[in-house]
Amino acid sequence: MTAQKLKPLFLTIIIILAVAGLVLYLASVFYGLFFILAAVIVFYLYKRMITDKATAREEMRAALKKLSIPGIGILAAIVIGAIIMLFTGYNPLQAYRALFYGGFVKNWHVSILNASPLIFTGLSVAFAFNAGLFNIGAEGQYYVGAMVATFLGIKLGLPPVLAIIIIFLVTGSVAAAYNYIPALLKVKTGAHEVITTMMFAHIARYLSSVFIRGMGGDPNTSAHAYVTDPILESNWLPRFKQFIPSANYRLHTGILIGIATALFVYYLLFYTKWGFEIRAVGQNKDAARAQGISVGKNIFRALLFAGFLAGLSGFNEVLGLNHKLFENLQANYGWNGISVALLASNHPIGVIFTSILWGALNAGGQYMARTEQIPNSIVEIIKGIILFLIVARYIYSYIGNRIKKRRKLKHPAETSGEAAT
Amino acid sequence: MPEGTMNSAILEMKNITKQFPRVLANHDISITLKKGEILGLLGENGAGKSTLMNVLYGLYKPTSGEIILEGEKQEFHSPRDAIRVGLGMVHQHFMLVETLTVTENIILGNEPGRGGLIDYKEARKEVKALSEKYHLEVDPDAKIESISVGLQQRVEILKALYRQAKVLILDEPTAVLTPQEVDELFEVIQELRKSGVSIIIITHKLEEIKEIADRVYILRRGELVGERLTKDVTQADLANLMVGRDVVLTVTKEAKKITAEPIFIIENLVIKNEKGINAVDGLSLTVRPGEVVGIAGVDGNGQTELAHAVRGIQEVNSGRILFKDEEITHYSTKKMIQNKMGFVPADRQRYGLILPMRISENIVIGYHDREPYVRGINLNLPKISQDSEVLVKNFDIRTPSVDIPAGNLSGGNQQKVILAREFSRNPEFLLVSQPTRGLDVGAIEYIHSQILAMRDKNVAILLISLELEEIFSLSDRILVLYEGKIVKEFDPEKTNDKEVGYYMTGGEKEGAAV
Repeated sequence: MTAQKLKPLFLTIIIILAVAGLVLYLASVFYGLFFILAAVIVFYLYKRMITDKATAREEMRAALKKLSIPGIGILAAIVIGAIIMLFTGYNPLQAYRALFYGGFVKNWHVSILNASPLIFTGLSVAFAFNAGLFNIGAEGQYYVGAMVATFLGIKLGLPPVLAIIIIFLVTGSVAAAYNYIPALLKVKTGAHEVITTMMFAHIARYLSSVFIRGMGGDPNTSAHAYVTDPILESNWLPRFKQFIPSANYRLHTGILIGIATALFVYYLLFYTKWGFEIRAVGQNKDAARAQGISVGKNIFRALLFAGFLAGLSGFNEVLGLNHKLFENLQANYGWNGISVALLASNHPIGVIFTSILWGALNAGGQYMARTEQIPNSIVEIIKGIILFLIVARYIYSYIGNRIKKRRKLKHPAETSGEAAT
Repeated sequence: MPEGTMNSAILEMKNITKQFPRVLANHDISITLKKGEILGLLGENGAGKSTLMNVLYGLYKPTSGEIILEGEKQEFHSPRDAIRVGLGMVHQHFMLVETLTVTENIILGNEPGRGGLIDYKEARKEVKALSEKYHLEVDPDAKIESISVGLQQRVEILKALYRQAKVLILDEPTAVLTPQEVDELFEVIQELRKSGVSIIIITHKLEEIKEIADRVYILRRGELVGERLTKDVTQADLANLMVGRDVVLTVTKEAKKITAEPIFIIENLVIKNEKGINAVDGLSLTVRPGEVVGIAGVDGNGQTELAHAVRGIQEVNSGRILFKDEEITHYSTKKMIQNKMGFVPADRQRYGLILPMRISENIVIGYHDREPYVRGINLNLPKISQDSEVLVKNFDIRTPSVDIPAGNLSGGNQQKVILAREFSRNPEFLLVSQPTRGLDVGAIEYIHSQILAMRDKNVAILLISLELEEIFSLSDRILVLYEGKIVKEFDPEKTNDKEVGYYMTGGEKEGAAV
């Protein structure tokens, strides 16, 4: 088949177009979007070559349908937000113009900076969810990661790329190890990971205060009272400005690492035997066990890898953005990670987009507050409503599943019909 | 048989159509229930009989059509409306609160008393009177969790009567009962009819229709295909009407002499359940290659623990399991799979399938970590799909694609997915538990023939079933399981269901062991 032979060529074209478009777009060079669109079109053409027209269209439609669910939630939240603003005496049109202009155009780089740590914590929560676990302690693993990254960033004088790779791996590994005890307790005693990881999150949070004072910088030269020494400049993550001059100088490549990590998690979950086992355990541990899959082993793997991912958000913040660790007991990356994971239905690729959305709403909200004097809290309200609608969807699908199950028990005609006819 | 009072119709359903998205569950169905009649509603799973009854009971609104009760047109928005005008329904899965007493369950939602206070004395008296009136003996103070399934069903019936049901709908009432309990239920039904209650029985069991119903409607694929007086019709006729083609009611197995040495042996197996009680209590058995050994027993006598121990997902306290002269008692499930031991679990949705995962994933699971389905750590997805497609075809699994979730399949097709997985791996031993629970005649016929095909391939098969009929039609030997022990062995040719049922319920418990 010629189509099969052309596969590497097509994939190369798609990857080059997508990566180029993505990098440009993320650096506020908005015509990058055309490259992304081109990549999608090439992908569609390729799909049509290897399958027939109807299947390709069907798959596209299925993908769009999947997107429509969160899309409707977001749209509904925007409408409800507008109603709230009308009642409280603000002009919603003005507010939304500022919100979207600020979030997606003017301060797009801020949105991206906001999004990059969320991708990691979001992936962490989403990954654990796939194993049926709720890694509510991602916040704590972020603090652990941030501390390790700061420590190594200050101490590790190696050639730049090598150092960054080492810090990446060690940061993640230590954060993973931080989930060892909760995982052990879960497997051995059944202690719920929600409780244990949450408690561990508190420990890590307050440990960071101690750590910062131990690694202390000079309070006189810093605007911030408690802050560590800065990390070595050789350990900074590369910045977009180094290859795209028009990019904002603060914009670092953490977002690209985040996206690459998301792709890796996607691959791990859906294309490897490990991901297969984790999903099997997450969806039905009894059936998984009856097919020889060890539930305990997979809980261990999942919680440790979730810790690894959440720790990377600390890596991202320290090496990319701040280059030191401030005392900040309200980082909230872990909690927001839960939100973006939920919003993405725990799909690793979805997490990229929901993180950016969250980041953009925050950035846009600040811009709106500054230019239009509309309180930033409206953005929090909108975020709350979006989440509520998404969670409501879970409630809905939970009820739906129960009804389906009940129907299936009693009269399979309605449910089996879809598949059987 | 029918008495003089039953000429007038108490209930009519006229031209009922129920359209679900994509599926027409009921198409233009009209049925009549006469006063004091026992009416059967027969059909395969998915024929639309439960939908029809749920329309009647107010759970669904019909797309079109009307319900007339005692000459008055009714419109039900919820079961509450249906109950108020005198309809009662006993669901297949009982809706009882396990921790409450019989009386509390019966009055729940209709408590006598004033204000917020419940008059328990009055309630108890009413329940007692009711159970005496209809000869439905049950201890009003017993907790639901402590009484048998058969008694729980009585409580459900009493619940409906307490709400003054004139029409009682029974949804698959015998699915969970032992043969003795079925007989008792049928006596109760006759008793109810005598006191003027009209009854509709939903079932897919032909012999029950023959035995208890006066008249039967047969549904197929959402349409009414026939109405018969049961005295004028044979089981074979009913089966043909129901399925729409000639069906073999019981698969015929070729008698053969099995001389091989046992390949699978259990010796003095003891398994404690969570409460510390011996669920399996010194059980011993053997299975030879090419033999189906059927374990008959009432649910809860150690079937689950036995099956799970043989799969390696349940800890064994003492005793040994041997397979091919090797002790496998404490082997992991993985090792059992490597040893070519197949497992068809009783609870297929909990232990058999991962419903949200694809059909292909459900077929490969267990073998997902071996060549050719994995290369290094990468799943070989094209190979998985390809082999799944072949199995879907071979096992007649009706699905548009192997990529849809297993949960979208009907019960019969779900079970076929499990069979495809377990039977295609060239097993030497198969543990098959409740293989046809809740399935319709067509699927049962297919699954039974597949099991016998495996037997003819010289596989040693241990069959656990609560359906005596199934045990009889498949087994070469029948073992009766009671309180965790094998209490009796039978040759299926030389016994009958009454005799087996007697041992299943503890008859001659002592001294009868093989």
